[in-house]
Amino acid sequence: MASSTSPTLQVCRDCGGGAPVDAHFCPQCTKILSLGRHGDYFAFLGVPRKLQLDPGDLERRFRELSRQFHPDYFYNATAAERRASLERSSYLNDAYRALKNPVTRLEYLLRVEGVPVSGSAETAEREGFNRATPPPALLEQVFALNEELDEIREARSSGAPAAAWKARLDAARLPIEAKRDTHQAQVDELSARWDGLVDDGGSDAAKRDVLQALRDCVLERNYINNLLSGIERELNTV
Amino acid sequence: MSHVVGIDLGTTNSLVAYVKDGVPEVIRDEQGDALLPSVVSVGDAGTIHVGREAERRLLTEAQRTAYSVKRFMGRGREDVQHEAEHFPFRVSGEAGGVVRIGLGEKEYTPPEISAFVLRELKRRAEAFFAQQGEFDNEVDRAVITVPAYFNDAQRTATRDAGRIAGLEVLRIINEPTAASLAYGLDKKHSGLIAVYDLGGGTFDISILRVEDGVFQVLSTNGDTHLGGDDIDVLLIDTVLAEDDAPVASGRTPEQLQAIRKAVIQAKWDLSDREETTLNGKRFTRARFEQLIAPVVERTLGPVRQALADAALEPSQIDEVVLVGGSTRIPMVRRKVAELFGKTPHSELNPDEVVALGAAVQAGILVTGNRDMLLLDVTPLSLGIETMGGVVSKIIMRNSTIPASGSEMFTTAVDNQTAVDIHVLQGERELVADNRSLARFKLRGIPPLPAGMARVQVQFQIDANGILSVTARELRTDVEQTIEVKPSYGLTDEEVERMLLDSFEHAEADFEARMLIEARNEADSVIQATEKSLRSPDFAMIEKDELAPGERQKIESVMAGLRMVLNSTDRETIQKWTQALNDATRHLAEVMMNRSVKAALSGKNVDSFRT
Repeated sequence: MASSTSPTLQVCRDCGGGAPVDAHFCPQCTKILSLGRHGDYFAFLGVPRKLQLDPGDLERRFRELSRQFHPDYFYNATAAERRASLERSSYLNDAYRALKNPVTRLEYLLRVEGVPVSGSAETAEREGFNRATPPPALLEQVFALNEELDEIREARSSGAPAAAWKARLDAARLPIEAKRDTHQAQVDELSARWDGLVDDGGSDAAKRDVLQALRDCVLERNYINNLLSGIERELNTV
Repeated sequence: MSHVVGIDLGTTNSLVAYVKDGVPEVIRDEQGDALLPSVVSVGDAGTIHVGREAERRLLTEAQRTAYSVKRFMGRGREDVQHEAEHFPFRVSGEAGGVVRIGLGEKEYTPPEISAFVLRELKRRAEAFFAQQGEFDNEVDRAVITVPAYFNDAQRTATRDAGRIAGLEVLRIINEPTAASLAYGLDKKHSGLIAVYDLGGGTFDISILRVEDGVFQVLSTNGDTHLGGDDIDVLLIDTVLAEDDAPVASGRTPEQLQAIRKAVIQAKWDLSDREETTLNGKRFTRARFEQLIAPVVERTLGPVRQALADAALEPSQIDEVVLVGGSTRIPMVRRKVAELFGKTPHSELNPDEVVALGAAVQAGILVTGNRDMLLLDVTPLSLGIETMGGVVSKIIMRNSTIPASGSEMFTTAVDNQTAVDIHVLQGERELVADNRSLARFKLRGIPPLPAGMARVQVQFQIDANGILSVTARELRTDVEQTIEVKPSYGLTDEEVERMLLDSFEHAEADFEARMLIEARNEADSVIQATEKSLRSPDFAMIEKDELAPGERQKIESVMAGLRMVLNSTDRETIQKWTQALNDATRHLAEVMMNRSVKAALSGKNVDSFRT
């Protein structure tokens, strides 16, 4: 039985016929379906819920679907069909944008799998850095970096030559940058494991473990990115 | 069936094009001119002049003539204050409201002025279709282009202009993207394309990926206040500074326009010559380039940003396309070639390519032909004001359109039934640094304890890049009413009223046109009569075949017609024209008979020979 969060059927508002939730056009009357019940981004684009997707394949699907329901082709259609085309195209564009970038793809997967990252890349950018508390694994390095940043700011305000404090700032971010690289390797490894579990129909518990590990990675990485962009800002405000 | 056209509504010139058998073509006027200067002048009697005639009037009636109005579209008075001094016409408007342009006794909004240009293009296209023998020559629908970097208010103003001109605007599309459509027609392109579009008043850069006929914009950037106009202003300032005569304030607007005309000519000259004269002095390309270098340099920042947004290096771009009249300047071509490391394309006329692309898009819309598809992006991020005057972004820049985003709002106090929402466009953090698009009040929220209401506001950017907003209270599933007050736009009622006004104008314009036609007709009858009276054999005709006093009658009627010729009374002119026609009817018959006889006798001679 379909749960309320993952419906399997939708109803064509034009002819009243039923259609699978991932269909874009009504199997009965062939009209474009309004965007009522719909699948997630993966289902909408017709790809498995995996993390390592072929960018070329994704792009082909995006182009093909754009050709099917872009508003350009519904200019002479009824108002309901035009509306449906607009909504479906918007959703397609959102879906493609989210899935084509590996970072946003991972965040989206975590969200639809029920382990959302509260401080997503976008919201973190909005909120500015230093907002979130540092993840435990990073405490030590963040502490050291903040201390260094304070000293550099002090040196700046007491009129130290720009070259001197810039060099210090550059040096300060090296360990953090190294950390980011090891993180990427970790994410790649976990992603491959997740995709394997999807293919083999792995147990829910195993999936949950991988997702949690991925979530921690993302949190740490977002934190690191915010730190680095903070340093960048510091460098640019001369 | 009525016709659909593509229109390039430019800062300096505007064009109209249509698709014939799958091939886009620019529509020219009777003189073969494709470009209609985007200049509008108001005569003493309220007559509206558009195009070349209006352009001529810049030298005689500068203060009643408007040009480069595109720079004012969708802008507030505060935005344009600093540049208003460069224009001969009055620029006014309420603080925080739409710009108004004063020409003579009347004030117009920029969309109204643009509508005059659009109406002239509509008329040109209709005359063309009539001449082609089309049964229905009406042009009632159009695709109109805008700079890619135009914001919501500027796009909406352009759409309003179309509506005021009596056109259904099928789609607003971006100029660089339109150009790429025109370029993509003949060859089966695929790859990464950069379109560098430097026009009269605006600059755009768009990076596209073209594959299987899908033209997908990856990123766009630009400056809606950067173009040939800025070069002209630089040159005018130079001329004024070098001149010994009193400074600008001591000159009439007409004198300034004469200088403007001269610097534009010098600028054109230097596109294919090393030197020319300006204000009686030698003016070299080297000096010109030294002056305009900062303007050209300003285009390169947006180019780099667009490349960065598309995550591309300049060397990855397969083809570079130049659009806009200002790309004729050798220095511009050189800088673009340097940046990308390849020679840019310019096979198609940079003035015409945008209109051609608009016509192609119009064709796609009416035929549903799926060979080509344009996927454009929104140039600026869309956000809303949050606590502390900070912008919270909802739709990021360079998102493919149509695009949507939503945000949840709640109430701050118990039983609050309305929430104020401020929508902004731009990339900056603070509200004050972004463009205010609209403020609206969400009403009809059910009275609930503070923080309990959950209002989901849905922002939808359509394929025109224009925003619409809907809202729904999720607990009660009640659709909220939204009154959007555009910050720098016209309300629907205002547009409606202007449309009605324009019909009245259309009548006045029609009357003016009829008067001109009546004068032309009278003129040609006078010419023909004079020619006949002065013909070598007239004396013989008069003696042999005319009644006594017939010549005197013709001459007096002709003198009468001459006297009324310059009046504005069309009917009187027509009456006198008719009278002259009647008076010369007998003479015409006589002359016709004589020429028939002459022809016959000539024929006899010929038949003898063979």
